[in-house]
Amino acid sequence: MDKPIILCVDDEKVILDSLKIQLKNAFQNSYSYETAESAEEAIEIIDDLQSDEIPILVIVSDWLMPRTKGDEFLIKVHEKYPRIVKIMLTGQADDQAIKRAKAEANLYECLPKPWNFEQLITIIKSGLTNHG
Amino acid sequence: MNQLNAQGNILVVDDTPANLRLLVEILQQQGYLVRPVNNGKLALSAAQGLPPDLILLDIFMPELDGYQVCQQLKSQEKTKDIPIIFISAANEVIDKVKAFQVGGVDYITKPFQVEEVLVRVATHLNLCLLQKKLTQKNEDLTEIIEQLTRTQEQLIQTEKMAALGNLIAGIAHEINTPMGAIRSSIENIANFFELQLINLPKIHDEISLEFQEDMMQLIQIFQQQTEHLSSREKRQIRKQLVNILETHQINQADEIADTLVDLGVYQSKALENFLPLLKQPEGYSVLEKTYKLTTLETSTKTIHTATERASKIVYALKSYAYFESKETVIKANVIEGIETILTLYHNQLKRGVEVIKNYKNIPLIACYPDQLNQVWTNLINNAIHAMNNQGILIINVWQEEQRLKVSITDNGHGIPLEMQNKIFEPFFTTKSQGEGSGLGLDIVKKIINKHHGTIELNSTFGKTTFTISLPIEQNQDN
Repeated sequence: MDKPIILCVDDEKVILDSLKIQLKNAFQNSYSYETAESAEEAIEIIDDLQSDEIPILVIVSDWLMPRTKGDEFLIKVHEKYPRIVKIMLTGQADDQAIKRAKAEANLYECLPKPWNFEQLITIIKSGLTNHG
Repeated sequence: MNQLNAQGNILVVDDTPANLRLLVEILQQQGYLVRPVNNGKLALSAAQGLPPDLILLDIFMPELDGYQVCQQLKSQEKTKDIPIIFISAANEVIDKVKAFQVGGVDYITKPFQVEEVLVRVATHLNLCLLQKKLTQKNEDLTEIIEQLTRTQEQLIQTEKMAALGNLIAGIAHEINTPMGAIRSSIENIANFFELQLINLPKIHDEISLEFQEDMMQLIQIFQQQTEHLSSREKRQIRKQLVNILETHQINQADEIADTLVDLGVYQSKALENFLPLLKQPEGYSVLEKTYKLTTLETSTKTIHTATERASKIVYALKSYAYFESKETVIKANVIEGIETILTLYHNQLKRGVEVIKNYKNIPLIACYPDQLNQVWTNLINNAIHAMNNQGILIINVWQEEQRLKVSITDNGHGIPLEMQNKIFEPFFTTKSQGEGSGLGLDIVKKIINKHHGTIELNSTFGKTTFTISLPIEQNQDN
């Protein structure tokens, strides 16, 4: 039985590495954790998983990435998968982008880097209860 | 004429009362203000007290003669610029050369014609006035030039800070990213200590001897991994491992494969060594314990990498904002300067600009390094802008005889031919209002000129190159 997925998207490997350790610490084996180093790779993963009928519950995405930025990416995802909880985790995002993501991608929350473990986990949990 | 007369204040010096009276009379009739004195000593004190606009000075007088009076007046700051016209009788032997040498502007011989005296006086008063005006204008101009130089320095500094302002948002991201990694890694480590440290003394008893061997092997694999696989590659390997685990009917294949990949077990051959362990009921827990231990090292390495990133950015910022007001030429490495700017622009570049660097071995060059950094900032910033954040930026650095060459090429929209002559002019900009000061390339040009270098532009659609040529040595007198 395939477990639901939490997907992290960031072009920085150090962020993905530490996020994965945090998520595993917090949720143990309740979920599977996927990481993608760009929005393009993330979309590829989402489509793959969807064709295998594995549900994605949460996406935690950076904003400033090469090519497709976080807001564009989440809007694209939202068009096909409105039920996924979308969280932005970013060192810097312009207000317009966050507004757009809230309006067009139903962005659940935007967390600034450096983030706090408890806060991130609380947000993911509340996102899961409210949306899931 | 009358206007001039009204301003004319003339000191007349003659020891012959009749001459003195005559001169005073004809000058006063013209409206000049006249002060008569009958000896050299009085002449000196009168000139010192209230400097006249002109002095008519008799040469042959008892005690101080005209030459001596003239010399003394010329040696005093207050009176040195007053024009002096000598007067001497025709029967006296006048040394004309000496009259000019001691500082006279003209001379008149007695008996004189009234008209001649008046014309000469008017001419010299006029000359003197014009000269004063000229001197004043000169001083004004010098002052204006000084102000301009100061303003220019300020503009350069302002422009530099404006460029920095545009970068700040990006730099915030650049620093917050490593900060995020550091904080989460520290939290991971703290979390381990909080939950796992207490179990550490028991770990020996919980794990049988043969599995301890497996644990050590896993840790070795983890520590020896050199290749950093992308998320995509890891996913593929994980699928392969899941297949192998499932063919061996091992439970929790997904979780095990995921952890194995995180530990660096990529080859199916390596996996085979651990199959006996994983087939045991406690196998999964041993694997997880091993993984937990290695996360400490992962987090530590992350902190290490992240602090280096952050300090690199801070260093770049510091060397950029550095402003040397007392300017001295120092030997510096141009490539280091370019790399500093690329660090500052890192996150803007990573949105879609590929940077190709061709750096040849180059000597240090004598330069103003912080000013050259401003050149690279402007050119790189313009290039990114011209490419609309998507494209290829090529930076070449090489040596050509006694000159260092840097070329910066972008594949953006190019600069139209009719604008190519204008781009180095101050306040010319192709950017929309608020985006550019229009001073960037003007300042670039000024900085390059200061280094006795040249900058050339070559632009067609899809390829714009700025080539800078700088002398390796600057002359001492620069």
